[in-house]
Amino acid sequence: MSTPPPVESVARQALSQALIQHGDRLYSLALRVTRDPDMAADAVQEAFATALQRAADFRGDSAAGTWLHRIVYTKSIDLLRRRGRDAVLPEEDVSGIASEDDRPSRGAAWARPPDEILYGRETRAALAKAMEALTPLQRVVFEMRDVEERATDEVAEILGLPAGTVRVHLHRARLRLRAQLGTHFRGMS
Amino acid sequence: MNCDGFYERITDHQEGVLSTDDCSAIEAHLKHCQECNGLRSDLEALAKLCREAKEKAEMPPAVRARIESLLQQES
Repeated sequence: MSTPPPVESVARQALSQALIQHGDRLYSLALRVTRDPDMAADAVQEAFATALQRAADFRGDSAAGTWLHRIVYTKSIDLLRRRGRDAVLPEEDVSGIASEDDRPSRGAAWARPPDEILYGRETRAALAKAMEALTPLQRVVFEMRDVEERATDEVAEILGLPAGTVRVHLHRARLRLRAQLGTHFRGMS
Repeated sequence: MNCDGFYERITDHQEGVLSTDDCSAIEAHLKHCQECNGLRSDLEALAKLCREAKEKAEMPPAVRARIESLLQQES
């Protein structure tokens, strides 16, 4: 009987495969959290180094992508903290659903600009600015759930949070974005 | 269900985690509240807008190369 390959060798092969399969999405996740290409690059590299050190935990199955996403997310947050960038917008506690600054937007529905304006350069810029107003956690929850259309349970698993907490951050992110973009759209109508 | 209740529960409603009674109350409220219908349609438009405006982020080749190198190194 032949000797099975060592765990680390299997992990290197599996991580190489994961880099091909998930590399862009992992980098995208780090970029969403950090909003900084250099920091995102560092986060992804550190994540793969950590994954390699934890080779024994690597299962090499379909959950590998989720596992790597979680490590990248943790590394991104660690880097933000190390570099003092998370002080801009502290995370809210999850005891209440809505924060006061989201509430004034409730009554004002967006005007409906034509599609060419809606998807134009100005709106893209307004959207990018609105995203900056979110906390890193709100941003990543919103993008994973509403933009990438991942299941809430998968987002919760990646972030290591209860699904209910993910929904609270999703709710806040949606309302805050609506409020931010409402100013932009009302200005165009 | 009033507007405050709808405002607090709309995400849970869209996520399908509310009780049957709460869902019924929300649907009943939406039948007569233009403001909350506006909120709902704005949130739907927001998600669509973000999906269509999203630019694909690709890992820079230099970063990919460094990770490949890391994975090829023998310990």
